[in-house]
Amino acid sequence: MTHHFFLLLRKDLRLMLAGKFFLLALGSLLFYSLYINLFYAKTDQDIYPVYVYGTHHTLPKNMDAIHFTNSLEELNDKCMDGYSVGIDASGENINIVMKSSDINTIDALRVQYAESFLQYPGRIDEADKFLSNFREPEKLIKNNSLELKNRREITCEFLFFELAAVGFLGLASLMFKEKEMGVIRVYGILPGNVWAFIFSKLTLFVVSDLVFCILLTLINVGWKPCIAVLPAVLVQTGILSMIMSLAGLLCSVCVSDFRQFSLLYLVLAIFVTTPVFLVGQTSVKLDWMLYHPMYHLFMQMKGAYFSSVTSGFVYYAVCTAAIIVLLCAVYRAMQREMAKEG
Amino acid sequence: MMTGFWYQIKNIRRDKLCILTFLLPVIAGLGLHLLPGMNLTALSEPLFGVICEELPSGTETWLRGIGKVTVYKTENEMRQDILEPSTQMIGVRKDGQNIRTIISGDELSLNRKIAGLLPKLEQNRQFTNSIYDDTQSSANPDLTLSILPAEDNRDTLLSLLAAITMVTAMFMGCTFNAMSLIKEKEDGINFINEILPITQHQYLLQKILLGFLGGILSATITAWICIKPQVSQMPFLLLLILLSTFLAALTGLFIGHFSRELMAGIVMIKAVMILFIAPPILFYLTLPADSSLYTLTCLLPSSAAFYGLMDLLTAQALHPLRYIFPLVCHCAAWSLVFVFIKRKKLSA
Repeated sequence: MTHHFFLLLRKDLRLMLAGKFFLLALGSLLFYSLYINLFYAKTDQDIYPVYVYGTHHTLPKNMDAIHFTNSLEELNDKCMDGYSVGIDASGENINIVMKSSDINTIDALRVQYAESFLQYPGRIDEADKFLSNFREPEKLIKNNSLELKNRREITCEFLFFELAAVGFLGLASLMFKEKEMGVIRVYGILPGNVWAFIFSKLTLFVVSDLVFCILLTLINVGWKPCIAVLPAVLVQTGILSMIMSLAGLLCSVCVSDFRQFSLLYLVLAIFVTTPVFLVGQTSVKLDWMLYHPMYHLFMQMKGAYFSSVTSGFVYYAVCTAAIIVLLCAVYRAMQREMAKEG
Repeated sequence: MMTGFWYQIKNIRRDKLCILTFLLPVIAGLGLHLLPGMNLTALSEPLFGVICEELPSGTETWLRGIGKVTVYKTENEMRQDILEPSTQMIGVRKDGQNIRTIISGDELSLNRKIAGLLPKLEQNRQFTNSIYDDTQSSANPDLTLSILPAEDNRDTLLSLLAAITMVTAMFMGCTFNAMSLIKEKEDGINFINEILPITQHQYLLQKILLGFLGGILSATITAWICIKPQVSQMPFLLLLILLSTFLAALTGLFIGHFSRELMAGIVMIKAVMILFIAPPILFYLTLPADSSLYTLTCLLPSSAAFYGLMDLLTAQALHPLRYIFPLVCHCAAWSLVFVFIKRKKLSA
């Protein structure tokens, strides 16, 4: 039995190598890493730029946070983007110029931010009493930075997409090829075990997903935070990879025209994962999200990357049940297919 | 030529999955359109967390004026939400006569700076009213305010989702053509095609047409649902869809040409999809619309299409030349490249 299993394992590995599966995974890894390191890690949004024209006595003479312009036209031009604020200090009165951002609270904040640069004699005297009381914001995570957060966030998202979309199709396409080659028919008359057939494929794909996960995390999160989060991330990757691979296996056995199905699936994956990412990564709240199974899987994966969520017993119980049900379904489908082919 | 095309139509008529694939963006567009009460503009508002009845009511009202306030019962609950990486909440606590702020430390610069400024702004509030709230009682009589109204634009994020759906619809031609070419390759039909008495142009046209038409149909219906274009916008929209879909269909031919089997094709489609959909969104959100860098990114075909769609969706002034010209150039250049590659392969 063991010997048989390893023989199958070797055959599947050769098939994967022939299909350039590892080369393609490496390509994806390179592509994702370049994107994260060159673009996403550095994304940031700075506070509203303040443009000033003129030299009113209430204005600070030089300050890093404000930009002086050479003419009123330039000032008006600069603050027409709905984000910047302009201070026209060329006349008697100071005029704050800006274009509305369409959200009242943000407009109010922008005006108050610009006002905070103006210094009025009366106010300064009163304010001085409190100046010493200004405290820097208390930081709950001392050694975390925006860049590290960005890296964790996007690595998690890419890994999830890769496992959900491509992980599913990887095993399925291998299976589909074997089916077309008539392997199932041959297998039906051989005295082999169907479980060995399923597990050899499953093992290879789960292991390759785990290796992909380790490399992706190591390259993009950095080795120190990577070591801290890796155990939890690997557990979640294992669960997700197992579920997706089994689902792929099931579909490739059951669906007759798998080629068109894979196309449909790729598009479907985008539409299914977009709301999950939207709710998981921003403050958008959607009530029906709780019934979306992918949402829970994603939140667990994210929890693992940020080492925050400790998932409960129910989650693991449901995942185990799902894997067992899928395994049985694949077994039945294979047996049926063999009976049909044989 | 028409016979070949007719055979292909007949071929996919039985393929329900294929038809469904083209319908998917339309369904997504409908879903997006029906999405009830999802106010996505509020996403960019600053979020403040306060503890129940701790801050003076004046301070809390002021905070509500400059952001969205969530009230917590205990500090622990608040800290948990501040730590939550998907939101950028700033915790506000009482500190003598003033306030102090709590952040997690990995927020955007914008929110970190707001958190740092908040005590100062609160102090300003205590001594002078902001002209934004009340011009009459302002302590700074020589200060005036002129806010220009925002253009009548719809929800930006919703438009963004609509544009993504549209781009995906246009992209369908690419996936369809790539898959059909790979299938021909795996089945060995491409060898037969090579000896058929048709010219390279005919072959190219025939291969590209089905995915192209499907993409146009899918994109047009989605556009009709998501954008509801006015008559004056029609020509621009139509031209945009026509050119982008053609380009996508052509990309599909390239992928089909270069990938030997299904899995390679899928990975290539995925890479192209991410490469073509992600940068425009990123550039659109990060680069100011009048910068030269922004204009430069129009050279990327998907960016040009995406910006054009966003302008349509947010009812901005249209720049037909800026977006259409790069697309036309790409269409012409890549068609020539494809014909050249095919010819070279045949002669080899």
